[in-house]
Amino acid sequence: MQKIVLHKLKIVLITLTVLSAFSCSKDEDLSNLSDTIFVRHKKTDMPAYIHGNGSEKVFLITLHGGPGGMGLGFRGTAFNSIENTCAVVYFDQRGSGMAQGSYSEDGITIDIMAEDVLALVKVIQLKYGSDARFFLLGHSWGGTLGIATLLKDQHEFLGWIQVDGTPNPRDMYLEYIANFERVAAEQIAIGNSIPFWESVNELLLDVDSEFNRDDIARLNNKGFEAEEELNSDNLINRPSGGRDDLAFKYNLVTFYWNLLNTQSIVDPPIQGILSYTDRLPEIKTPSLILWGKYDMVVPPSIAQETYDNLGSSVKELVFFERSGHSPMGSEADLFAEEVNMFIDQNK
Amino acid sequence: MRKYILVFLCLSALSLNAQDKIDTTSVLDKTELKIGYTGNFFWNNGLNVGAEYLWKENVKTKEKRGKQKTIAHQFLLNGNLVFSNNYSTKTDAGIYTNYGLTWRRINTKGKQISIEFNPLGYYRSFLPETYKVDGDNVKKVFLPGRSYYAPSLSIGFGKLRKDKKLSGRYFNINLMYRTPYNAGALPSISFQYGYRFNSRKKK
Repeated sequence: MQKIVLHKLKIVLITLTVLSAFSCSKDEDLSNLSDTIFVRHKKTDMPAYIHGNGSEKVFLITLHGGPGGMGLGFRGTAFNSIENTCAVVYFDQRGSGMAQGSYSEDGITIDIMAEDVLALVKVIQLKYGSDARFFLLGHSWGGTLGIATLLKDQHEFLGWIQVDGTPNPRDMYLEYIANFERVAAEQIAIGNSIPFWESVNELLLDVDSEFNRDDIARLNNKGFEAEEELNSDNLINRPSGGRDDLAFKYNLVTFYWNLLNTQSIVDPPIQGILSYTDRLPEIKTPSLILWGKYDMVVPPSIAQETYDNLGSSVKELVFFERSGHSPMGSEADLFAEEVNMFIDQNK
Repeated sequence: MRKYILVFLCLSALSLNAQDKIDTTSVLDKTELKIGYTGNFFWNNGLNVGAEYLWKENVKTKEKRGKQKTIAHQFLLNGNLVFSNNYSTKTDAGIYTNYGLTWRRINTKGKQISIEFNPLGYYRSFLPETYKVDGDNVKKVFLPGRSYYAPSLSIGFGKLRKDKKLSGRYFNINLMYRTPYNAGALPSISFQYGYRFNSRKKK
């Protein structure tokens, strides 16, 4: 009888030990987070992939481009190093990546998407503790969305990192034209890829002088082509891609379907219409503006305009000399260095 | 009174049982079960189980160049239950079930071509840890996921193994729509490869 009791006691003790070991593991794992959680907000479930060092409970929320891009697209290159500094939250926005929901076309606007980001902050606070601290980083379209988020509520964020993203989609059309004219003249003058830059000049003669939805798409496509040419002339580095397994992380049919649908709904009320430039002085959060010197997709003149108008007393503008639209891929080490330093200084 | 109720229940059970046997005999003979892989190799992979009931069959025999050719056209009622998952991200797990009609042509050599239309489909996605945010209120969601109406259409090829327990194999290309999905519907393509078998046959 005693033997049976002792045997059962042993089982209970072993079970308790295993359970307590697992219950402690949450804190230990903070230094090497690898979590996928969903945020359910306003009829949508959006995945947040959280990776990196969360031991200081510093979270960098990243906002991908698009609209309709993929959160994990950032992962790899510069973010390998950033994950050592803090926990990076790769977030699939509403209508993007693997986010799924059920809403009408009115249910996907920049306002609601900004509220989604604030909802994500609340979820992280519940999961990892109310002492969690946040930085926000937005690239391209994510830069526009990040500013919309900060204008709704900036008090949760210790810092804002804007990467090649405009607060002023209204005037981007004219900036495109001015930027192409400037770079084409420079490149023709030094004899680089003359036929290509002449084709740019022909395109500029062909597009409307006022905002035109079809023409902005043509200019946008030409912008990516131009960066290819600048790379072939060895003026910028080719952005190294993210992780090799990205194609397995996202169902590409779902991804492209969402991308096309989301852009067709979100872009029309924004392009040529929306501008946050006049409201930038309201943003007091410490800010770091990172831009590729040869960004042909979101022209570099917008970086200076953003810097000049931000209301932050702590702000810095950094141009990457050998980058286009994605300096996190083309000058990954420098990019990571700037981001890590900014987080260290402001956390 | 209790005795009468007991006798009535016993007789009812017996008669239902007997009725069942008569019906299931014919149903089972005409029914094939199927099991196979479903997915698109890269993102979603899973298992498909289902059943097909031969509803109508029209067999025609012709003489052509001195050889006898038999072509069968079948209409089958079918049902499927599928589990699939993206094991890499856990963001695309789901179970779905669908029901509909299959048209199938079988030639003399047992080669099959089929078109399967399943207008009745239900998809339930399963999400990992999910938190619902409503204003300042944040709650963990129990059994998170979403439900969709999911009709589908398949085009398939197969091979009949006549009078065998393992009665055939099939390869289908399947197009499924999930709706409502975000602001519209989501198409998805998958492949199905599997085997049919008849539980009544012994070999």
